[in-house]
Amino acid sequence: MLEVEGLVAGYASAERILKGVSVHVEPGELVTLVGPNGAGKSTLLKVVSGLVPAREGHVRLGGADVTRQGAAERARAGFAFVMQERNVFGTLTVAENLELAWPGPSRQMAEERARMYGRYPVLAEKRRALARTLSGGQRQILAMAMALMTAPKMLLLDEPTAGLSPKATEELFEVVLGLRDLGLPILMVEQHALEALEVSSRGYVLVSGSNAAEGGGPDLAADPEIRRLFLGG
Amino acid sequence: MTDIIQAVINGVLTGALIAIPAMGLTAIFAVLRYVNFAIGPLATCGAFAAWVLNFRYGWPVLPAMAGSFVTVAAIGLAVEQAALARLRPSGALTVAIASIAVGIILENVLRFSFGNDLRAFDLPLMRDWRFWGLRVGPQQLQTAGIAVAMMAGVFAFLRFTRYGKAMRAVADNPDLARLFRMEPGRIAMATVALGTGLTGVGGALLGLDSAIDPMSGSRLLLPVFAAAVLGGLGSIPGAVAGAILIGIGEELSLLVIPATYRSAIGFLTILLVLSFRPGGLFGERAA
Repeated sequence: MLEVEGLVAGYASAERILKGVSVHVEPGELVTLVGPNGAGKSTLLKVVSGLVPAREGHVRLGGADVTRQGAAERARAGFAFVMQERNVFGTLTVAENLELAWPGPSRQMAEERARMYGRYPVLAEKRRALARTLSGGQRQILAMAMALMTAPKMLLLDEPTAGLSPKATEELFEVVLGLRDLGLPILMVEQHALEALEVSSRGYVLVSGSNAAEGGGPDLAADPEIRRLFLGG
Repeated sequence: MTDIIQAVINGVLTGALIAIPAMGLTAIFAVLRYVNFAIGPLATCGAFAAWVLNFRYGWPVLPAMAGSFVTVAAIGLAVEQAALARLRPSGALTVAIASIAVGIILENVLRFSFGNDLRAFDLPLMRDWRFWGLRVGPQQLQTAGIAVAMMAGVFAFLRFTRYGKAMRAVADNPDLARLFRMEPGRIAMATVALGTGLTGVGGALLGLDSAIDPMSGSRLLLPVFAAAVLGGLGSIPGAVAGAILIGIGEELSLLVIPATYRSAIGFLTILLVLSFRPGGLFGERAA
C-alpha cells in the first residue's frame, strides 16, 4: 500500500534529518515507528504527507509515485495525516471542522458527518463548540474523525496520545485499534512505544534518521536489546 | 448632553465607513500575515472608480459601488501578484514596506490621471433630518446602510459558505488546510480580492459622504489601521467593533480638542493597544 524508499529530507535549519529511510505498510497493517528523540520519526510522517519535501528517495501509494506532489494533491490521492499538534481548526466549530474535511459533494456531507457523530458521540455533544475549547482527548478524536471524513487509503498518526491523561490515552488507543480492525492501513509514531508495538503488525526503529531495526511489533517489544536502548527498559 | 449624543451618532456613522476597509485590511492580515499599507490609496482608487462610473457614466450608487469593488479587487490582485507575493519570502516587514511604496505609486497615478481637484458624486441634494435637537443626513444614513449591508454580507459569506469557511481555516492553520485538499495560495488570492475590493467600496462610501481627492484614502489609513489593531489584527468582528469605537472616539474628541488633532485618536489608540493589550480587544485571530 505505502512504500517509502531511501528518503532523504530535512528543513532549512537541518538539511538531512532523514538519511535514506525506507518503510512499507501493507493493506490492513498498523505499523509503528519508534526511536529516540530527534530520530526523524515525525519528519518522516511530514514528508510522507507532503508537508515537507523529499530531497531524495520515493514515496508511493498503491504503486503510484507521489514524491513530487504537494500535501493537497497527496490528500486527494488518499493520505490522511493527523499531526501531533494544531491538528484541528481551533477557531472553527466541531461541525465546521468536519464539514471542511469532507471532500465530496455537500449533499452527502451531512450524512457522513452524522455517521461520524454516531461513531464518536462526544463530537455530537460538542458540535457547536469551537475546536480550541475541546479537551486534549476530544481534540484528538475530532482530528481523527476529520481524517476519517476523507475516506483515506492510508492514515498517518503522529503521537496521537501526546499530552493526554491515562484514561484519554486508553480511549484513543481503542479508537486506533478500531480503525485497524476496519482494515485501514496506519503508520503511527507513538510516545507509548511499548504499548503501541505490542498491538502493531510491524514496527521500525529509527536512529539518527536511518533504519536501525525492523520486525513484528510484539517481537520488537519483546527484544531485550531494543527495550534497553529505545523503550526505556 | 445633546452634543454628546450627536457625537456618538456621528461616530457610529463614521465608524461604519471605517469598518469596511478595516475588514479588508484585517482579512488580508489573517491569511497572509502582513499589514497592507496600500489600502489607503486602494480606497482612493475605489472612490475614483465609483466616481467615474457615477459622475461620468451616470451609474446609480449601488452599481457604481459594485464596479468599485471589482476594479479595486483587480488592482489589489495585480499588485499582490506583481510585487508583494514575490517579496513574501523576505518577511512580513519587507512586504509591508513594499505596500507603502505601492501606495505611493497608486496615489501618484491617480494624481496624474485626475489632478488634485476635489470631486463630488452626482447625488440629489437632501435636507438633513432633525429630531430632539439632533441632526442626521439622509446621505449619511444611506452610506451607513450600505456599509452595514456589506458587513452582514461578509459575515454571512465567512460563516455560511464553504469557501468562506475555507478562508477562515487557512487563516487559522494553512498547513492543516493543505492536508484537507485546500489550496492556501489560491484562497489567499481570493482573500486579497475580497479585502482590497472591500477597501475600494470603503473609499467609494467615503466619496459619497464627502468630496474626494487623490489623498482621500491615505487620510483614512490611520483610523482604519487603528480600528484593526484595536479589534485585534486578523479578527473581522474585531475590526468592525474597533472601527465603531474609533469613529465614536474621534467624534467625541471634537468636543474637547480642535478638529486638526482628531487623527491623534488613532495614534493614541495604536499606542495604548500595543502597550497594554497587543492582541487587541478580540485577542487573537478569529476571522
